[in-house]
Amino acid sequence: MKQHLGRQSGVQTVEVSLLDGKVDVTPKEDGHIEPAQLLKATYDSGVTAAEMDMTARGKIVKDSSGSLALQVAPNQAFAFAPNELSKGLESLAGTPTMVTVHGRLYKKSAGTKKPDPSTRLTLLILEVQKKE
Amino acid sequence: MNKKNFALLILLGLMVGPMAQAQIKHIEMRVEGMT
Repeated sequence: MKQHLGRQSGVQTVEVSLLDGKVDVTPKEDGHIEPAQLLKATYDSGVTAAEMDMTARGKIVKDSSGSLALQVAPNQAFAFAPNELSKGLESLAGTPTMVTVHGRLYKKSAGTKKPDPSTRLTLLILEVQKKE
Repeated sequence: MNKKNFALLILLGLMVGPMAQAQIKHIEMRVEGMT
């Protein structure tokens, strides 16, 4: 699996802990990484992803459907799953304030083995680490 | 370079600069079925 994930574009390093089933992926400094591709690559390597968490820095924007999202690249944004923390960021939408958040992008639902590639990943914010 | 072009360059830098720092910093997965 380490090799499978390491081949994905934008990936700098992959650390696998067999003991607790944890996989840490560090993106390249200026690389573009696609979490949905990582989920697919994980499945293709023969294991099931139960959860995927992400720490990312970006601007708060409103996407085409009017939902709040974290824009991490000109062509990459993650819509927020609404919660109290995402509501707290609403006032920053469209401002140049950069926000670093830690959140959950994917959680396997019961009975599901393969992540559905057509499902859009939404970011459930677990922690707002920095606003600058 | 005249002053107008220089000012435009600074403005562009201010617009693009913060976005260049935006990025996914870390991804962590919990997986099942790994041997």
